[in-house]
Amino acid sequence: MDVAISTLLSPIILFFALGMGAALLRSQMSVPEAFAKGMALYLMMAIGLKGGVEMSKNPLTTDVLLVLGAGIVLSFLIPVIAFACLRATTKLDRIDAAATAAHYGSISIVTFVAATEAVRLSGLDSGGHLVAVAALMETPAIITALVLAARGQAKRDKPVAGSEQGELVREVFLNASIVVLVGALIVGWIAGEDGTETVRPFFVDLFQGVLCLFLLDMGLSAGRGLRQGWRQLSPMTVGFGLYMPLIAAAIAAGFAYVIGMPAGDAALLITLTASASYIAVPAAMRLALPEAKPSIYLTLSLGVTFPFNVTIGIPIYIFLALLITGQA
Amino acid sequence: MTKHLRIELIIERMAHKRACRVLEAAGMTGYTVLPAMAGYGNSKRWSRDTDLSASGDMVVIISVGDETKVRATMEQIGDLLGAHIGIVTVTEVEVLRPGRF
Repeated sequence: MDVAISTLLSPIILFFALGMGAALLRSQMSVPEAFAKGMALYLMMAIGLKGGVEMSKNPLTTDVLLVLGAGIVLSFLIPVIAFACLRATTKLDRIDAAATAAHYGSISIVTFVAATEAVRLSGLDSGGHLVAVAALMETPAIITALVLAARGQAKRDKPVAGSEQGELVREVFLNASIVVLVGALIVGWIAGEDGTETVRPFFVDLFQGVLCLFLLDMGLSAGRGLRQGWRQLSPMTVGFGLYMPLIAAAIAAGFAYVIGMPAGDAALLITLTASASYIAVPAAMRLALPEAKPSIYLTLSLGVTFPFNVTIGIPIYIFLALLITGQA
Repeated sequence: MTKHLRIELIIERMAHKRACRVLEAAGMTGYTVLPAMAGYGNSKRWSRDTDLSASGDMVVIISVGDETKVRATMEQIGDLLGAHIGIVTVTEVEVLRPGRF
């Protein structure tokens, strides 16, 4: 309960609530678009750098490799379950269900950052390699979703006009979030703690403040997305946005238990698995499955699941991690 | 003044490079891409400030050419809009320097 209260009353969550409330009340408040994108880059660089520095302190062990492998397997697996749930409980067609499932197999880096702070506030330690897990979990879900969408569908006899070979591969594997996250992780790994000392005031000391501002903007985006798109979602689809993270969390908790992860790391793996993408996957879906409706998958992941995860979900995931490690 | 045709294509940002390739392949000698701020279509409002991925953003592509090139472009644009969100209009315009198109 203490974890839940400290998470809910942390400045980042309160600023998120402020932004979401303002958007739902139709406030004119806004964060300039270019500034918001700059903050997203900053946060990914900071989290990647921090993870790389942490990884540089310890050698790559079998345990770390197991966690990396678990992340990849979960990202491939979760869309299959999400797809089955959507097809069984909603009226979404195969394409919309597959596109939505891809979002739930991939991850939200902002949810991960919020969870990292919550884990720290709970007095738990977490390894830097979880940042690498986050990067690895971005794309496998897209591949699963494309396979799910293609099954039973008539194949186009020719590609969409203007398509270029390799454009989807570039979008999936070289999108900005992956390049920045993995790039900063490698920089941090190579430079180590001493090498990154000079950039510490920018990437560490300012981090909390920038995160608050970013979460304010995320609240605005989530609130506006929900306000504009809620009519597209049936009650069963909204329900999916709330129960799917819990199903994914339970499966990830099982993986973490089998691997024997420490509580802090387990909480982050569970959070990553439970989170839904709203940056990398929507962009990839517009190229790969343009027939899918963004008003469904984007409203669901950004307007329903993201607010659920950062407010109620993260304390549940930390509790789950404590439970499987016998610390609850 | 010479009469030419002007294509105005409003299309989702993620597909705009595909549209530009279609224009280039059809021999259009130039085009301009403008960002769109907000809009309404298919019963849903959208605006640039709701989507951090920018995958829902729209752009406007304007291109001018002679009738043969524009007609060749439209068939391909039709295929593109079969998959992507967007609308296209063609209007007759007068241009000052026809040699440029």
